[in-house]
Amino acid sequence: MKPAPFTYHRPETLDDALDLLATHGDDAKVLAGGQSLIPLMALRMGRPGHVVDIGRIAGLDSITVGADGDVTIGALVRHEQTRTSTDVATHAPLIATAMPWVAHRAIRSRGTVLGSIAHGDPAAEMPAVVLATEPTLIARSSSGVREIAAADFFHGYLDTALRADEILTEVRFPAWSPNAVGAVVEVARRHGDYALVGMAAMLTVDGDTISSAALAYFGAASTAIRVPDAEQALVGATVSADTFDAAAAIVSAELSPPPDIHASAAYRRHLAGVLTVRGLSAATAEIGADA
Amino acid sequence: MTAPGHPQARENRSGLVGQSVRRVEDDRLLTGAGVFVADRNPDGVLHAVFVRSPLAHARITSIDVAAARRAPGVVAVITGAEMAEMTHPFPPFLMLPGLYTPLFHALSADKVRLVGDPVAVVIAESRYLAEDAADLVDVDYEPLPTVASIAEALSPTSEPLWAKAGGNVMMDHTDTFGDVDAVFAAADRVITERFDCPRQSNQPMETRGSLVEVDAATGHLTIHNATQSSHLLRWAVAALTGKQRTTTALKRFITNKQRRRAFFAGAKQFVGTNRDGLKEQDNAGPLAQLKKDRSFLGHMNKIAVGLLGKDDYPTVKAQDIGGGFGSKGPVAREDIALAAAATSLGRSVKWIEDRTENLMDGGQAREESLTVSIAVDSDGTFRAMRVDLIIDQGAYPGFPIGAPLITKMMKVMFPGAYRWDAFEIRSRVVATNKGRYIPYRGPWANETWARERMIDVVADALGMTPAEIRLHNMIGADDLPTSMVTGPSIDETMSTKQTLERALELIDMDQFERDRVAAAASGRRLGLGIACYHEAAPGPPEFWDCIHPGTGMLTPEEAHTTVEADGSVLVYTQQMPHGQSHETTYAQVAADELGVRIDDVTIVSGDTDRTPFGFAGTGGSRGGPIGAGAVRTTAREVRRQLIESAAGMLEASPDDIEIVDGNIHVAGVPARGVTVAEVARRAADDGASGDLHGAPFEVADVYNGAGDGGWSVATHVCIVDIDLGTGLVTFPRYLVVEDCGPIIHPAVVDGQVRGGVAQGIGAVLYERTTYDEDANLQAATYMDYLVPTAMEIPEIEVHHLETLSPGENDFRGVGEGGMVGAPAAITNAIEHALGARVTTQYLPPTKILELAGVIVPG
Repeated sequence: MKPAPFTYHRPETLDDALDLLATHGDDAKVLAGGQSLIPLMALRMGRPGHVVDIGRIAGLDSITVGADGDVTIGALVRHEQTRTSTDVATHAPLIATAMPWVAHRAIRSRGTVLGSIAHGDPAAEMPAVVLATEPTLIARSSSGVREIAAADFFHGYLDTALRADEILTEVRFPAWSPNAVGAVVEVARRHGDYALVGMAAMLTVDGDTISSAALAYFGAASTAIRVPDAEQALVGATVSADTFDAAAAIVSAELSPPPDIHASAAYRRHLAGVLTVRGLSAATAEIGADA
Repeated sequence: MTAPGHPQARENRSGLVGQSVRRVEDDRLLTGAGVFVADRNPDGVLHAVFVRSPLAHARITSIDVAAARRAPGVVAVITGAEMAEMTHPFPPFLMLPGLYTPLFHALSADKVRLVGDPVAVVIAESRYLAEDAADLVDVDYEPLPTVASIAEALSPTSEPLWAKAGGNVMMDHTDTFGDVDAVFAAADRVITERFDCPRQSNQPMETRGSLVEVDAATGHLTIHNATQSSHLLRWAVAALTGKQRTTTALKRFITNKQRRRAFFAGAKQFVGTNRDGLKEQDNAGPLAQLKKDRSFLGHMNKIAVGLLGKDDYPTVKAQDIGGGFGSKGPVAREDIALAAAATSLGRSVKWIEDRTENLMDGGQAREESLTVSIAVDSDGTFRAMRVDLIIDQGAYPGFPIGAPLITKMMKVMFPGAYRWDAFEIRSRVVATNKGRYIPYRGPWANETWARERMIDVVADALGMTPAEIRLHNMIGADDLPTSMVTGPSIDETMSTKQTLERALELIDMDQFERDRVAAAASGRRLGLGIACYHEAAPGPPEFWDCIHPGTGMLTPEEAHTTVEADGSVLVYTQQMPHGQSHETTYAQVAADELGVRIDDVTIVSGDTDRTPFGFAGTGGSRGGPIGAGAVRTTAREVRRQLIESAAGMLEASPDDIEIVDGNIHVAGVPARGVTVAEVARRAADDGASGDLHGAPFEVADVYNGAGDGGWSVATHVCIVDIDLGTGLVTFPRYLVVEDCGPIIHPAVVDGQVRGGVAQGIGAVLYERTTYDEDANLQAATYMDYLVPTAMEIPEIEVHHLETLSPGENDFRGVGEGGMVGAPAAITNAIEHALGARVTTQYLPPTKILELAGVIVPG
């Protein structure tokens, strides 16, 4: 279980890193926290000829809050950093909510939030959080900067809009509305495993009426996926068990999750519905208490 | 947690035995100072990587290693055909009627039989370079139809794995006890159910590994290996890597002085030790006497060493080992290949198995199909049981212990702690294109699972509760002594019924029923499961001969206890600790016997040049009863000798002398004493020097556990809480009432029980060695083979009864029972919770919701 031979690069500047990617293209891989790349290389399932370690590049490890409350996360921000950040808790609370579900502390302490997004694992939490909260994803290459909308980012299984010569350097999450509530729920075989199915939900609620809804599922398709029909069923409805049950029925009917050795398709479809109800109930629990 | 007030609970002991003293191993292991095989990196060591088959079943049409041999850093590439020239095939170990045991070599040359089958070994200057070169080995395979399941193996049209076996059924044998047909015909009802246990894997934290060091001057091999049995490995390497013609072997025996000397020394010692027995009129001959020979193993070792195929016998040294659960008992093909490669190269070679190799062929277990019929009267009285057992042994049989012997263990233990008039078991072993089936902690455990599951099925059919039907049929104290229908005698140490009664006292059934109703209102289901068993730990003297005549000869175990000239005590054991705390518990036993401090005692294990001979190593829950018995027996004799020596110095009668904290004195007069060190120094100065270790005091003896009932028993009761939304199972309560007799170290016993239960929870809820329909391994990493972590394991209450046994040494084994009882208790609880029949041992969330009728099986 040793990787195939590769050339290791550790550039000191972002420009140098981008030049290396421009030179080596598909034969290069970006290394940040290494929690996905290194195991794949050790199993020789990934055999990049060049590994570009961005760990020494200054300025990529910050969480910044913009003037209007948007939160920008850099490429070297570790999961654990967002779990403990008061800025994230205040301005991008759905990320903080997702963090306890992400693997184990040792993995969270090394793995990066943007690395998880760029890897695009369909059963991971962060891609679903991205779909639910609709941040802007900023990719840089030696030829320039590109802003990618969340909805356009995930293309397929471990496949994203990023080009081989690009690094996902920042993700800018929009300001959290005062009327917004959210939840992340999932079921995994064991604590810290990839989810069998999970859901990241963000709602805005006026009084007890839902004014917008984003339901993003993970472990339910070849990428994280939203279910617009269920969202539309929620908008305009009141916060109630019946409302959530109706949304859950749509989710279970519309998703076609793949089976694997850990769970059948029928189980995952059922679970997506159960988690819809539980996630929406958790998200609106305080609203219910106030009412 | 002991059981206060139980009539047979033991009085508090003075001294070390019975106390949870601080573990001797902990300072070393917890500070990272342990030395495992992987930690050894001698200068210039080479690294081995095995080239493994990507196909489950195929003929090798060609193998091209030219590119690999030219690769950077490569020293050698050895193919299966070349290995066959260097080594003997693994021999059949157990001769059973109707058993076909295939011969196979360390590497495969003509045919591969599982994904991961080794076809070549690459030896290079680093593991990286060896893996790179392994990629360059070009093997052409001609795929064959695969055999991926028991059902396929039973089909007469399945592609045979072994041409000479006549199909894929390797063994088909029926054992009958009593007039089964008549009892079945006379019983009120016959109830039948089939239970299937999917494949699991022993998963020690440390994988297998071996470092074969070659002495440049002499060629002598020193093998550092993560083995549970260092002497067995030594023998196997000596026997299998010294390939030569029989005539050459004979010639070498005749011309080699060392061999002749070893052979005749062993024979002479045997005759000397057994002179009286051999002369007896009713003696049935030397073979019968061999079984009575207390030093049988040592004598046979000397005799056999003389006959083995190698002039120089390797030294095996095992030090710290990160668990085994049975997987490091068998001798692996890789062990032999590595020793042969090092021998041929004259250079040291190391191999550390990676986790994927370990999941492919580091040892798999438990895949069994068990159809159980119980003949029962309407009042719930069990009359007879019939079992149809099929074990899927995978591609290559485990060596030396594999599925055939395990069918025999299951045969003996299947009736459990219940009364039966008759019993019959048909045992079949089939070959499939999967990993090697080997013993896994409680190798016979599925007899308990299937029986205890079936008892709940019968109770349900008769309208009885699981507790009622068990109490009605279980052998109680009033029935003892008696015998199991399968042969072994049982005495008061078989206290299973008391553990059940105690467990039922500890559960508030009324509260459980209230909780059950409340849970149902919130989409949850609660269930309560009971499982009872007894296990031979070590069992009565005839136990192993009931399993298979002759295997009882392996029971005795030798220990040496010495006092060095500085007063330190060394205890030499053939046990091979790999997580069981021998260094602490044996030191407790020896220190208590001798009257010295625990710090004065050191346990020596794992080094075949220093430790007594024995094949068993550590396994079979023998460490407490047999191993500790041998320690106690030898320490007791050393104490006698110390007191005798001191008596002259103290001018007192030996009868009046005691040893306390290493001080030997007349009882009650500690001030007028001498120390153990002073006595030892004087003996050394007087020239006392033992034959074995050169110590002034030295006692070697063999202990066989004879006279002890030797049963270790328990009842497990668990309550499960099932979320019908998710299918997740949690355990509001898990309790074990166990009786392993007097306890040496309570925390170690609790740890053994809890670890076993954790693996049982793993078996039911998490762990499965999944193969697809073409026998491709689907769970080749820890992302897919799910070992439960601390997060998944509940608090496990352990309660103890401590029934004394009539024997001299009343410690009984406890290493396996937790794993034996847990799957039955958990699956019984799940059936109770869901009200749906549970016939498989593996119940992931999907299966739970299918059983509950929440989702449709897919």
